[in-house]
Amino acid sequence: MVLSLIEAYSRSIHKTKENIVPNVHKDFHGALSYGLQFLEDAYGREGVREFLSGLATAVYKPLCEDLRTRGLDALRDHWKTIFDLEGGEYDMQLENDMLVLTVKRCPAIAHMNEHDYAIANNFCEHTRIVNEAVCAAAGYTSSVEYDQQAGTCVQRFWKG
Amino acid sequence: MISCTEFIWVYAALFRFLEEKGGKDKVIEFWKGIADNFLGNLRELVEAEGLKGMHRYWSHTLGEEGGRHTMTLYDDMFVIDMHECPSARLIFQEGRDVPYADYCEHCRWLYPPLLAEYGYEADMDVINCRKGQCRLTVRKRKEAP
Repeated sequence: MVLSLIEAYSRSIHKTKENIVPNVHKDFHGALSYGLQFLEDAYGREGVREFLSGLATAVYKPLCEDLRTRGLDALRDHWKTIFDLEGGEYDMQLENDMLVLTVKRCPAIAHMNEHDYAIANNFCEHTRIVNEAVCAAAGYTSSVEYDQQAGTCVQRFWKG
Repeated sequence: MISCTEFIWVYAALFRFLEEKGGKDKVIEFWKGIADNFLGNLRELVEAEGLKGMHRYWSHTLGEEGGRHTMTLYDDMFVIDMHECPSARLIFQEGRDVPYADYCEHCRWLYPPLLAEYGYEADMDVINCRKGQCRLTVRKRKEAP
């Protein structure tokens, strides 16, 4: 049920309780990038690693538990949800107990480039660190090869 | 990639991490840094269109963030009445992480000082963090007689 209708300058927003507007605000990538650079400037790359590794026990705790329970299907579903929601271009294959996510157009890098946001020197390292921490908590291993300039990467996940 | 849909939890965790490492002053330094270095699109709109630019900026951001609010644009005042802040809901109601108690304070450091640079007085009144209720009231600053 539409409770009220606001005519914004750019579009209409139907504010309903049953169908809340999806929370996809890509400018947050720019804020994250600023935060990672601030962290690195203040506490070095070790500080960045310490912060991001800690996310596995809180922010990504549900994903860790899902990965432990359902295995690589959990990660496949996670990435599909995120990249579909954010409009990323990617391929994903689960073969021989290895999940391979090939990102052809990273939505974070693309959005920051489109809007001239400063991109942290080591922005893509956050993917490696968070993946490693999540996987370690669930008994899995990961690797990533990325090209930050191009906004592409290949991420691999396997048990052990 | 940390998704923009997960950012708010990461944002709050970063506040806590910075406070543990460098005290509250470090968190405030970060908030000031965001206002100075990241909110260029808000600055451009305020400079070009004043109160109307604020309405345009928050129509876009709050529309995407998905909270429930009303915005009122008067000829001399702009008001956001936030009934259910999408960020506060994630932080204080979803229980994924221990809430950073001063989470809502970041808006006080981000917006009123920035708007003051363009000649506006802004009151950021936090009504209830846990329920995600606050009000931002912006008026053109009166010139001294």
